[in-house]
This record gives sequence, C-alpha cells and structure tokens, in this order.
Amino acid sequence: MKKLLVLLAFFLFATALPALAVDVPTISKDELKAQLGSPDLVLLDVRSGRDWSSSEFKIRGAVRASGKEFGKWSQHYPKDKTLVLYCA
Amino acid sequence: MNYSFFLPLALGFSWILSPESLVIAGNVAGQLGWMSLASLAGVLLIFTACSRLLGNSHLPAVSSREFLILQRGTGSIAAATLSIGAYLPLTIVAGTALLVTAGYTFNEVFLYWFPNFGFAFLLLALLTILQFFRQEIGLQAQVCFIGMAAGGLLLLSLYGVIGAEKAVAETAQQPGSFSPFSATLLLLLFVGCSSSHKQERGPLLLIPALAFLIFFLWMLASLYHVTPDRLASSTIPYMTAARKILGEPGRQIMGVVIISGTCGALNGLMILTRKQFTTLAAESAVPQFLSTRKQNWFIPLFLAAIIGALMATGLAGNELLESLLRGALILWLLYYTFLCLAAVHLVYKASAAIPYPALFCTLLLMAGCITLLVGDPHRVQINVFILSVLSASGLLSTCWYLISKHNKHERKLKEKTV
Repeated sequence: MKKLLVLLAFFLFATALPALAVDVPTISKDELKAQLGSPDLVLLDVRSGRDWSSSEFKIRGAVRASGKEFGKWSQHYPKDKTLVLYCA
Repeated sequence: MNYSFFLPLALGFSWILSPESLVIAGNVAGQLGWMSLASLAGVLLIFTACSRLLGNSHLPAVSSREFLILQRGTGSIAAATLSIGAYLPLTIVAGTALLVTAGYTFNEVFLYWFPNFGFAFLLLALLTILQFFRQEIGLQAQVCFIGMAAGGLLLLSLYGVIGAEKAVAETAQQPGSFSPFSATLLLLLFVGCSSSHKQERGPLLLIPALAFLIFFLWMLASLYHVTPDRLASSTIPYMTAARKILGEPGRQIMGVVIISGTCGALNGLMILTRKQFTTLAAESAVPQFLSTRKQNWFIPLFLAAIIGALMATGLAGNELLESLLRGALILWLLYYTFLCLAAVHLVYKASAAIPYPALFCTLLLMAGCITLLVGDPHRVQINVFILSVLSASGLLSTCWYLISKHNKHERKLKEKTV
C-alpha cells in the first residue's frame, strides 16, 4: 500500500511539472503557415544531430540554431521580430 | 537453391543495407558524380581480393577462423582487443543512430501521429526479444529483413534506371570532381562483409559482388534523377532520390527499405556480437559468462540497455553521435585490415609464396583507414573514440589473459599435487 501511495505521489508530481514551467507562447501550424514569408518572422530550427538530419521535413527558409546556445544567437535578432523556434 | 542458401548471406549484409550506407552512397555519388561508380568498382576489387585471401585453404576452416587467424598472426591479446573493438561499439553506436532514423522515417512516411522515439524504442524491444529465440529464428528473420530491404532498393533502382531518359538530360551533364577522401568513404559501405553465417567460401565472395551490384544500380539511379549538388548536401539522399524516381509510392517503398534495413542491421549486429563473444569465451579471451553457450540473455540485454540509455539521454540529438559512428566503422575496417595482414602472413608461412594481389589490396585498405582517420573534419573526436575503445578492450583482454594464465597454472599445480 505504501509503495502504491509513493507511486501515486510520483505520478501526480510528474504530471504537475509542466505547470511549473515558464509560460512560453506557442503558435499553431495554421497560424505559422499564414505568416510564412513575412519579413518580420524569423523561423529557427533548433533540432540537432540526428533529430535534424534524419528528418525529411524541414521548413523552407528556416535557420538552424542550437538550443544550447540560445544566449549567443538570441542577441543577433532585433526585438521587433517574431522568433519561432521548432524542435519536432 | 533453397531458403538456407540465403542464411549465410543475410549476416554479411547486416550493415551493407543499413540507412547509413545509403547516406554514404548518396553523398559520395553527389560528390564524385559518375566517377563514384568507377571508385565503387575499385572498392569491390579490394574486398574481393581480401575475401579470396580469407577463403585460402592454408587458413583454418572452422567457424572461429577470423579469431584464429588474428591470434596466430598478431597474438592472443591483440586478437581479442581487435575482435571486441570490431563489433561491440558498432552495434551500440549504429543501433542508437539507426533506430532514431527508423523512428523518423516511420513517423514521417507512415503514421504522423505515432511518436518517432516511441517507434525507435518499440523496434529495439522487438529486436531484443527476437534474440531470446533459437538462433535459427533470428537468422530467418534476418533473411526477411535483408530481403525486403534489398528487394525495395532494387525495385526503385531498376525503375529509376529504366525510366531515366528524361531525367538524364537534366542531371547528367554535371561532371563530378575526384576527391580521394570521398572515394575512400565507399570502403565503409562494405563493413561486415566478412561475416557470413558459417564462414563458407562461397558467400564470402558473393557478399561484396552483390553489394556492388545493389549500390551500383542505386547510385546510377540516384545520379540519373537528382543533381549531384543536392545528393552531396542532403542528409537523407535516399529519400530525395526515391521521391524523384517514383513520387509518393517511391517514398513509401524507401520507408520500408529504411525500416527493414535498420532491423537487419541491428538484428545482424546483435547476432554477430554474440557470436564474437562466444568465440572469444571459447578461446578464454573473455570471461565465460559472456558466451551464449553459458547464458543466452546477457549480451542482448546488455546491448539493448546501453542503446536504450543512449537514446533516452539524447545522444541522437548530439552531433557527437556521427563522430562515434564513423569511429566505430573505422574500427571494423582496422580489424578487417589486420585480419587480412595476419592472413597474408599465415599463407606466406604455410606456402612460402606471397599472395601479392591480396597483399596489395590489404595495403590499400590500410591506406584507406589512414585517409579516413586524418581526412575527417571531426578527426580528433574520432581518434579519441577509437583510442578509448582499443584501450578499454585491450585492458579487458590483458586482464583476462593474465587471470586465465594464472588459473591454468594453479590447476596444473593442483593436478601435480594430486
């Protein structure tokens, strides 16, 4: 019984974790499609290694950027641009 | 010709029909253009000469012949070190890389809603379970995997070559320039070609010839339909070519080729690693519990646990994986080169005649290894990996050699006392 309670507590904690994450705005597929080609949009493909190289789907015009080096490249883009990062 | 004819071939083709081989073939076809086909023929000559050498009647004709040749040519510790380094790292690193590729292929070609990593783990679990059945079942499954991969690739190749009149006009005029490093990469297509089921002479010669035929047709079809620039720069040149050749059905056929090629590579490499450790244990080069004769479950579970852990910790999303994979492939090539050098030495000792063609091709293999080691942009990572693997396996072999020697000595003393 004790084990079951520990397991339940662990499960609840794991499922509640996303609520602790910082609220990052997301964009739907259709919203992005409508904005493609806009000069204010910067599309960043943050997939790396095989996650990127094995995938057939790469959005035209997307720039590759390393998720680990966010601090480096995020400075290069003007604040008024919309940065869209995708990783899957 | 019956079903059992294909059993010996299926293991030798484990790596040859893997998705990674198709990437190398596509990229080199793009870099060298039509000259890639001549380079491929040159590589075939090298492997044919080496295979003929390994089938020489002066060499031991038992299932553990590769280890015995190495042992007689280089000594017990070096033979064990090279043997461990040939298959174990390749199975782990290639397994991780190929499963991820298969996961993406399944997700993007067949079922968008199915998570790619979910499919990679599912495939790993199924292939691990397959190792617990009798070896014959694993081998029969291997024939199916390799048959499906080869069949799909040949179908696309033939369709691409036959229906190429229009495509040739657009792509054929662009000549490729020769690069020794790119040509040397073609050696990596034949990794594992010495690994036939029971080391029969026939399959040893047939594997490089069939591999040449398959790659020749596929590279020809790719060059007919895709511009060299695109082939050279693509990370999935096989999918680009398949789509150009046959559209959406081409993508789906290539999807089957990639998934069955991954299954064939991982299943075959797992079987070969187990065989290798069983041979090494029989020769007292590694602890006995690593032999499949003692316990069938240890090696497959160990491999699956490491591959699973590497996938779960995100190695697939790390550029380092590509260097490790290149290093593991070069390790096999080094093993094969030393195997051939040892075979040349033994044949010379037994017949007092130097097999010049085989010696020349072995020296070319050696030059190929050096070119791959120094010419790669990630050579530091690759060399560190190779040195680490050889040091670790060398340490294990030496320790076990000393322990075995000590045990034998103790046993002799006991017998004398009795």
